[in-house]
Amino acid sequence: MGEQILKMTGIEKRFSGVYALKNANFELCSGEVHALMGENGAGKSTLMKVLCGIYQKDAGEVELFGQKVNFKSINDSQKAGIAIIHQELNMINHLTVAQNIYIGREEMTGGVIINDSKMEKKAKELFDRIGVKIDPSQTLGSLSVGKQQMVEIAKAVSHDSKLLILDEPTAALTQPEVEELFKIMNDLRGKGIGMIYISHRMDEIGRISDRITVMRDGEYIGTLITQNTTKDEIVNMMVGRVIYGEKKQKSNVKPDAETVLEVRNLNRANVIRDVSFKLRKGEILGFSGLMGAGRTEIARAIYGADGYDSGEIYIKGERVKIKQPSDAVKRGVCYLSEDRKRYGLLLSKSIAENSVLASIDDYIKFGWIDDKSAERSAEEINKVLKTKASSVYQELRKLSGGNQQKVIVARWLLKNCDIFIFDEPTRGIDIGAKSEMYELMEKLVAQGKSIIMISSELSEIQRLSDRVAVMCEGKITAVLDIENATQEEIMKYATMRN
Amino acid sequence: MNIIKFMNTKGKQNIIIFLALVALIVIFTALNPNFINRYNILSMAQSLSPYAFLALGVTFVIATGGIDLSIGTVCIAAAVIAGKLYMSGMPLWMTIPVMLIIGIIFGIANGFMVAVLGLPPFIATLGTMMFARGVSALAVSVPNIFYPTGTWFNGVFSNYSGIPTGIFWVIGFMLICMYLMYKSKVGRYILSIGSNEEATRLSGINIVKYKILAYLFSGLGAGIAAIFWSASFTTVASATGNGMELDAIAGVYIGGTSATGGVASVGGSIIGSVLLVVIRSGLNFVLAKFNLNLNATYVTYVLTGVIVIVAVLMDVIKNKKIKSN
Repeated sequence: MGEQILKMTGIEKRFSGVYALKNANFELCSGEVHALMGENGAGKSTLMKVLCGIYQKDAGEVELFGQKVNFKSINDSQKAGIAIIHQELNMINHLTVAQNIYIGREEMTGGVIINDSKMEKKAKELFDRIGVKIDPSQTLGSLSVGKQQMVEIAKAVSHDSKLLILDEPTAALTQPEVEELFKIMNDLRGKGIGMIYISHRMDEIGRISDRITVMRDGEYIGTLITQNTTKDEIVNMMVGRVIYGEKKQKSNVKPDAETVLEVRNLNRANVIRDVSFKLRKGEILGFSGLMGAGRTEIARAIYGADGYDSGEIYIKGERVKIKQPSDAVKRGVCYLSEDRKRYGLLLSKSIAENSVLASIDDYIKFGWIDDKSAERSAEEINKVLKTKASSVYQELRKLSGGNQQKVIVARWLLKNCDIFIFDEPTRGIDIGAKSEMYELMEKLVAQGKSIIMISSELSEIQRLSDRVAVMCEGKITAVLDIENATQEEIMKYATMRN
Repeated sequence: MNIIKFMNTKGKQNIIIFLALVALIVIFTALNPNFINRYNILSMAQSLSPYAFLALGVTFVIATGGIDLSIGTVCIAAAVIAGKLYMSGMPLWMTIPVMLIIGIIFGIANGFMVAVLGLPPFIATLGTMMFARGVSALAVSVPNIFYPTGTWFNGVFSNYSGIPTGIFWVIGFMLICMYLMYKSKVGRYILSIGSNEEATRLSGINIVKYKILAYLFSGLGAGIAAIFWSASFTTVASATGNGMELDAIAGVYIGGTSATGGVASVGGSIIGSVLLVVIRSGLNFVLAKFNLNLNATYVTYVLTGVIVIVAVLMDVIKNKKIKSN
């Protein structure tokens, strides 16, 4: 670690009188990776937005390279050498890699013609310097999300940024891509660039960061040296209690439990290869694997959201043809997408409307929707699920990720579904709400529902699954009983390419 | 609680538009008291009904996040073809089912192209708009179609000894549309599709069916509008009513239905249509009174253009505010 380049002290930010930040502190040295942690809503993003000039602070001081600064816009902070890399990338898919990097400052021939080859040459030099292996003449859209992120980092470096903010950079990366990212981060560290790393993933933070600053409810809680701390200590600071449960020791499924869903030899060109598995009543079948292993594709095929080329699906012993989601729902199968905003929610509609969306038939009397009784049902079910909201009239956009997820669970419970396919059930959900989601899934199986749970978090898979199906490149490479599902074993099968 | 909710969601813009309407009526009357004489009210009411039916129908399509540009020419095609059949000896009452069926067929065709074939609504209905215009010109060899005057047909749908009967039909149809939009499954799903189509599909709802229904309603609206157009204007040529779809769609946007779908105001569509009729007529009176040598139609367009942009801007600003919260 080098000298201090950033010091934020006593930052306050209020939105219509409510404190979003209150006495928030943060420091960063050159060549340091400093993790910023806290539950969703702890104020991490707000603090970063204050740093970038997107928000104006109400009190406190920001010192950058020993100078007091007060950025009025993101352009100001960019000029001062700060770059922010968001979860959602801000680049243009149709342009080439080089065109994206030099957007807004294109190389010109004679002042009127864009000189692409010169930009590609410059991009190539840039990539060589930071050890990225990407062809700058490719269109950005043809790259994986991981590669796109590296392009964005390279773009930041090309802007001579001395301070990088990485906001959940690994959320959509495969394990090899994470490794590549960390390699690049280590290179940048050697070049004296300071990095602020926001992530929920403990294991990665333990590996990559030098220090960890924890925030809670908009306040600074403390800063730890990564080497000298433990996962429990960090989580304790974040929530004030220990919540990550232990690995499940033994399956709770009765040995003679009936098979509720069986998939035989499912195929779809290039993404699903000869997949067969069984799901039993009351079971949580975990689906583990790297990003792009085909887990979501299987879920969507079973659910009828996408088609499949060949294969057989049996529900409760009966062979079924599922061509569209409504066919699956009729059989009691439901799917909760990882991307709730796009594939699950009507953001501008109320909790009540979202809850009864699939079961509106139950509330129609003589052709009229009985909104009162629909609202009552929505209220009851959301009470059971402990959805936190002011009322069932509240719009979904105003709820946190965890509560939005609960409303979708409510939707399927009201529809009497009994086979739940959860795709990354806790993505974007803060740690406190995570354990609630775990309890909810356990409650569902205790009531005889069955769950397929796709998750990229090994601790989540281990905590909940009765069995673990591991996938690699469209194939199920192993179905492990939970007793044998160690991290090493899962990773072995997840990378078993042949 | 419910009143506040109503105000915040769909009510507010309605109230603003309604107040604007009242203000315009007051201004026009002040400038030229003849504006509210009996005959002008009757004439405004008669010209309102076709636009109102077009607006009500297309509200369902706009609620899904789509658009239907074909309603104007489909309306004229229905009026022209049914009129041609009438002139060749078909009983007058038969023109009613013929016009409705023509509207419905075009509506289903639009719905099929959008929901099943996956064409963008703008393109699909642009094609239908041109197709319908061409068909109505080809179907009719004579320059004008004449519907009868002074028969039961005109009495029931347009003017029964000074009573603008069309208005009652508009109100009745509006109530049916309110039921369909807010209290039936069809409307609930149409609004859900406009709000988030993919989430609606993944909730196990057959979105193809409901999108086709939305376009069917729109086509049916055009068929109904044709009845009232024929009864009120009695002379129909294949080139009449050019651009009437745009007037109707403008009325829908002015009425507060969101251009991106998911939020619809059936009552607003009516208020928006009335507003446009009042402006067109009022400007005629004002320009005549002050001997201004301007074409009222064009002044109406200028004013309507501004109002549509302001109305949609209000919607955009509201959405931005919601997002930034």
